[in-house]
Amino acid sequence: MEVRNIAPLRLHLLFAGLGITFLLIFSWVLFHEEAAEWRTTQARFRQLEGDVKNPHQLAEAASVGGLRQVWLPDLGRIDRCETCHLGIDDPAFAGAPAPFATHPGTWLATHPTGRFGCTPCHDGQGQATDYAAAAHRPQPFVTRPMRPLETIEANCGTCHRALDPTDAPRLAEGRRLIAESGCFGCHEIPGFEGMTFRGPALDSVGYKVRPAWLASWLKDPKSYLAQSKMGNFRLSPDEIGSLQGFLLSQRMQVPLDSTGVDWKNADTANGRALFGELRCVSCHAVNGRGGTMGPELTNIGDKVRRDWLFSYLKDPHRVQADTPMLQYRLNDAQWRDLTAFLLEQYSSADTGAEPPPVTYQDARLLAAGRAVFERRGCSSCHRLAAIKETGRIGPSLAGIADRDPDELPYGGSTVRHTTDNYIFLKVLLPDTLGQPSGMPTFGFSPADAARITLALASIRKSDLPASYVVGRPALVPYRPGGKFGELVMRYRCLSCHTVGGFGGDLSTVPLDRIGSQLQRDYLANYLLNPGAVRVSVEARMPVFHLSPDEAKTIADYVSMVFLDDRFDRYDTKFTSAEARRGQELYGQLGCQACHQLGTKGGYVGPELSTTGARLKPGWIAAWLSTPQTYKPGTLQPDYGLSGADARALTAYLTSLGRSDAAKARGGKTP
Amino acid sequence: MTGRAWHASAVTVLALMTSAACRSGPRPQPGDPMLDAIRAEEREGKLTYVESQGRRLFVHYCATCHGDDARGDGQNASNLNPPPPDMTVSRMSQDPALTRRVIAEGSAAVGRSPLSPPWGRSLSQQQIDYLVAYCQSLGRETP
Repeated sequence: MEVRNIAPLRLHLLFAGLGITFLLIFSWVLFHEEAAEWRTTQARFRQLEGDVKNPHQLAEAASVGGLRQVWLPDLGRIDRCETCHLGIDDPAFAGAPAPFATHPGTWLATHPTGRFGCTPCHDGQGQATDYAAAAHRPQPFVTRPMRPLETIEANCGTCHRALDPTDAPRLAEGRRLIAESGCFGCHEIPGFEGMTFRGPALDSVGYKVRPAWLASWLKDPKSYLAQSKMGNFRLSPDEIGSLQGFLLSQRMQVPLDSTGVDWKNADTANGRALFGELRCVSCHAVNGRGGTMGPELTNIGDKVRRDWLFSYLKDPHRVQADTPMLQYRLNDAQWRDLTAFLLEQYSSADTGAEPPPVTYQDARLLAAGRAVFERRGCSSCHRLAAIKETGRIGPSLAGIADRDPDELPYGGSTVRHTTDNYIFLKVLLPDTLGQPSGMPTFGFSPADAARITLALASIRKSDLPASYVVGRPALVPYRPGGKFGELVMRYRCLSCHTVGGFGGDLSTVPLDRIGSQLQRDYLANYLLNPGAVRVSVEARMPVFHLSPDEAKTIADYVSMVFLDDRFDRYDTKFTSAEARRGQELYGQLGCQACHQLGTKGGYVGPELSTTGARLKPGWIAAWLSTPQTYKPGTLQPDYGLSGADARALTAYLTSLGRSDAAKARGGKTP
Repeated sequence: MTGRAWHASAVTVLALMTSAACRSGPRPQPGDPMLDAIRAEEREGKLTYVESQGRRLFVHYCATCHGDDARGDGQNASNLNPPPPDMTVSRMSQDPALTRRVIAEGSAAVGRSPLSPPWGRSLSQQQIDYLVAYCQSLGRETP
């Protein structure tokens, strides 16, 4: 068969042109690859390595040619950062110029690059191999450029789910602010499941507050209390009027009868003494000083009615079943004196006489008030029997950090479109993002808003493998029964103390093994008359006015149940040589810097002159050996004591105050 | 439209787009209010991120004796003999290796009184690094 070359000249020319074009492209690609930024970087590194290391080290060092990457299939990431950051895990390059310097700190010891890569902490484009494309700085069309150091804690929080992660103080503070402000009342927030925010129940608020106070509070809570946890809902005067009427008609439970109380003879001096003795300031601040568990009392006289306050002090749990406030054992005259003292001492100058309760009849007003209450989600924080639960009124914040920043509203402001900036502005000024917002203005400082932003920016659409998650331990609520259980509820032990991590953290002493720590007789006496174990601590255990029988019940129960056998099995037959050696060690280690003994020594730790009567030896030895095991963050340093030295110190400390213990056992201990 | 005319108009549009892109010049940088808030706070405290981490630890672990601002005036300072030094003027806090040793092994390890205890077993290496960084920032601060 005859083959004819039918291609005309034009086709020849086309092929020739294409051939040359392809050749050019091919050589350009070759040249471009050969001159790639990372190759010059690696050449600079080899030069630097020659300067930094001696020949022996150089011979041992791995060669650094070619692309280097960490592939993390379970995180769905490929990080090629180490192509240029060649000295990142080699201590020889500490202080070397960028990009070769060793990673600062000890982070890579706990987060080796082989398991964590780089971008899970730093963000940026892990697969890129040149500076710009890796998004070291914000780039157009890159959703997550590298985080600056200032905000990197947001990424810690993606894996570290504890409320108080160590070494991430801004994140921890942000989470604390969220927990304290009760954001989860209106929003579903992963990591805060199971938390409830306790605003006061409003079922009987009509008996509780003065009308003028309520109106100004609804207008702006900060006008009464700068630290108010309630935000400003930006209500109109009409809304305030109707909501005030609706709330003041809530009168479910009449206050306890105080008609027989002789108010004319109220002794405010005695009230003042009681205020100090009951240690009210451990939980309530006055003029900005004191605890934060309860509301500040500086202007309480402007807010509440006398009969309600008397009734509430006498039995707080009747009105507010879930209040952390305890019920003291006082008589009516004492309650009267305390009430009169609070109202007289803590009210602003222009507080008028208490107006009689008003009955609101206008059905339209009440309906309008109820509508405001429902619309603004008041029941997210405040219980009110007349309103059925509305559920969470705000959008869920699950995966908020993975929202597309270009789809979020910024209200015409010229900020860079990032989820950080959106969350920040929303938290700081919720009504300025160009959409009507039902979210109240909480009045956070910009720095606090930034910390809350960090905490929220750690919430990703998580398909994170469980092996990466450092979780928050699930807490099991502790509810003992019987007579002991009643006392725990009445005196609200768990408002300040924890059992199994459950409870409040005002006290420094968890109760889990308290029976193996404290001598039973000491505890029984302490409950009746709590003194200061650490003189420098301001928040102290209140004087409950327990009956001796109640103190005995608590001491007996605790010393039979809250035990740790490891301490109780300790051999307590100390020799006098051990005690002498312990006394020497006491001086050599400098214990006196923090502990007072007699009149000498510091007041950081507990006073020690009655240690033998107070603490059990097994506990002393365990505590001295590894204090951080029992109380992370304690100021008691771990001296790395040998077993013999710990025993010697224990022998010495146990010998202190023993005769007092014997005296105390002489009959009068409950 | 003929092929030639189509080509011409496409080239014109491309040329216009290119010249528009060149003309627009540097646009104003969009702000980062969240980052600004954090940086403003850091400027106010005159500490870098790492130093502020150290300061937080210092206030928790050290300030009862050394004082909130490391001037040796903590509430427990009057009970100590010798008293804690004013670290804002002490040369020792400017020597990172010595500072690290005192923090980790206690003041007795450098031949001084045993009143400043060893923290090496209680704090992590990272936390001690932070503390050293904070101590070094002390000389820098204006009184």
